Parts: sequence; structure tokens; C-alpha cells
Amino acid sequence: MSRQQSINSSQTPTPTTAQSPLSRSLKATGEEVWKRTEKINAELFTLTYGAIVSQLCTDYGRDFVKINEQLYQMGYSIGVRLIEDFLARTALPRCQGMQETSEALSKCAFKVFLNITPRVTNWSSGKDAFSLIIDDNPLSDFVELPMDAMEQLWYSNVLCGVLKGALEMVQLDCDVFFVSDILRGDQQTELRVKLNKILKDEIPIGED
Amino acid sequence: MTIYSFWIFDKHCNCIYDREWTLLANPKSGTTNSKQNDDISKLLYGIIFSLRSVTGKLSSTETGRTNEISSISTGRFRIHTYCTATGLWFVLLTDFKPFNYSKVLQHIYSDIFVKYITNNYLSPYDFAQSEGEKRGQGTRKITNRHFKNNLELFLEPMISS
Repeated sequence: MSRQQSINSSQTPTPTTAQSPLSRSLKATGEEVWKRTEKINAELFTLTYGAIVSQLCTDYGRDFVKINEQLYQMGYSIGVRLIEDFLARTALPRCQGMQETSEALSKCAFKVFLNITPRVTNWSSGKDAFSLIIDDNPLSDFVELPMDAMEQLWYSNVLCGVLKGALEMVQLDCDVFFVSDILRGDQQTELRVKLNKILKDEIPIGED
Repeated sequence: MTIYSFWIFDKHCNCIYDREWTLLANPKSGTTNSKQNDDISKLLYGIIFSLRSVTGKLSSTETGRTNEISSISTGRFRIHTYCTATGLWFVLLTDFKPFNYSKVLQHIYSDIFVKYITNNYLSPYDFAQSEGEKRGQGTRKITNRHFKNNLELFLEPMISS
């Protein structure tokens, strides 16, 4: 999933990244960046993730609470770096409000990295929490959970960690967790994002 | 176009990379991550920081958009800035001739910084490792060889052309 190298670093620079995302909709930005992204085999990705989860199951002796935690932690470490990659590709500015954040997530971020566009629903009354309904989760293709895992394991928990880490890097302190998962026999896969608070930018000592 | 120096600031108000060229004829001249530039980097940070808050206040509230600074010019030189949503600032000091360096800075971010620092899991993603290194008190710098070499290679043609 590495970025297409469109210009050689020793040459004079020419336009590479999307310009002025404000003038175009987030959807168009997402689609355009996706077109320019190098593609890899989705099955390879799905199977690699499956191998990681099954290895964790062995390592933690099927203690699914710990496995969830570990997947979340792995996701967090991915997210804090992935956000830079995302911003470098899309050149998006900070979002104004959660409404815009939800659109940037579903139409740009998920589109660029996984080529899916989750639906945004279930807004809380204060507009600070929303759900992403993931219909075609590429992480869980071909997966059927064994009986003991169905109760506790959030198979795609890595996604929660990624969102948490990435949002934190743009000063949005959020709680991200799964509410339901098709793998566990639910109707749909629902990921909940809840804003705790907007973090303040640091200022140099002596400025306040 | 001529470039004089290049700086990167992180979100903890620290300068994490600085490069200054002294002899225009020799692209290898000058200093990298020099202690002597500490004070200058703080002043430079202060200029941009203050102007950012001013422009933020002046921008119309209709669009609700922040009003980012792209360049600041003085009688002798220009300061070009590129700020990311994660709080990184890429700053380039050049001669005063108008030229749009935003593409240059964007390229440095997306094809050099992200490639050699962010995607390098052995390099820290956050250069402040404790509370005492935040708010402009940190001294850690980018020392990655690949990053440095590629940056030099990319900027070399612009030093005196």
C-alpha cells in the first residue's frame, strides 16, 4: 500500500498532491487520491491480518480481553503514523466539528486505505458521537469465529486503535469502540466514535 | 531563486531539524542541527506563531476556516511555511523574489518526511519523550541519514539557481 512515487526527488518539483481540498468535496478528494494510490491484493491483506489475530490468540492463550487490548494497542501505534501519510496524500486541513470529521473518515480515510465508504449514522444529540456502519469489512472476509471467541473477541479491534491514534494526532481526543459485529451474529458491524474533548495546541513556555 | 535555510518544527514547539547554507556556491556548506541556531529557531518560531494567531483572528468567520500563512516577506528575504493538521511546520527561508514554494514544502513533507521518518518505525513519531521536552524545551533532532541525504539531494538545485 505504498504511495506511488510520481516524481523523482532530484528533479524540480511538479504538482503531486491534491490542491485546495476546500474547493472540492471530501468525496471527490477521497476518490481522486484512491485512484493515484498503488493497489495491493486485498486477500493478502485479509489473510495477513488473520495470521496476526490467530497468532495473538495462541500467545495469549485465548484470553480474548487481552487480545482485544493488544489489537487496540497495535492499531494505536499504526494510527499515529498513518495520519501523517493520510495528510500527506490528501493535504486536508483540520476539521471544523465532528460532522466534517465523520465525513473525512468515511469518504476519505476509509476510501483511501481500504476502499470502503462506511455509512455515518446514530448521531448523538450533542453531535459529539457518531457510528460508522461498515458493510464490507475487508479485515473479516472469509472469517468465522469459533464459539468461544464469539462472546468476547472484537476481531477488527485494530481499526478502533487506528482511529483513536490518528484522531488524537489532530487534537481530537476520542473514544473508539465496536458496538456490534456481523462476526458475532449481529445485524451489522457498527463502530462508535465519541469525542471526549478537543485537545489544545501547545504554546511555548512563557507565552501564556 | 536562492534558499538560505530550512527548518522543521513539531507540535511541541520544538525545532526538530534545521539546515543553514552559508556559501551559495557550495551546497555542502553550512550547518545542520546546530546548537548555535537554537535562539534563531526560537525567534523564527515566535514570528510564525504570532502571525498565525493574528491571521487566525483576522480571517472571516463566515467560512469558519483557519487562515493559514503561506509566506512572510521582508525587505531582504521571504519565509515560506507549510503547516500540517498534525502540527508540523515546514519553514524555508529564501530570497525575496516571488516564487511559490508551497509545492516544494509539500513534497518535503509527503515524500521525504513521511517516507523516512513517519514510515520508519525505528524513528520516534513524537520527538518529545517526556513532559519536560514539550512546549519548546526539547532538544531532540532528526538525525536519520536517509532523511538528511534525500533532503539535501532535493534542495541542492535550489540553493543558488
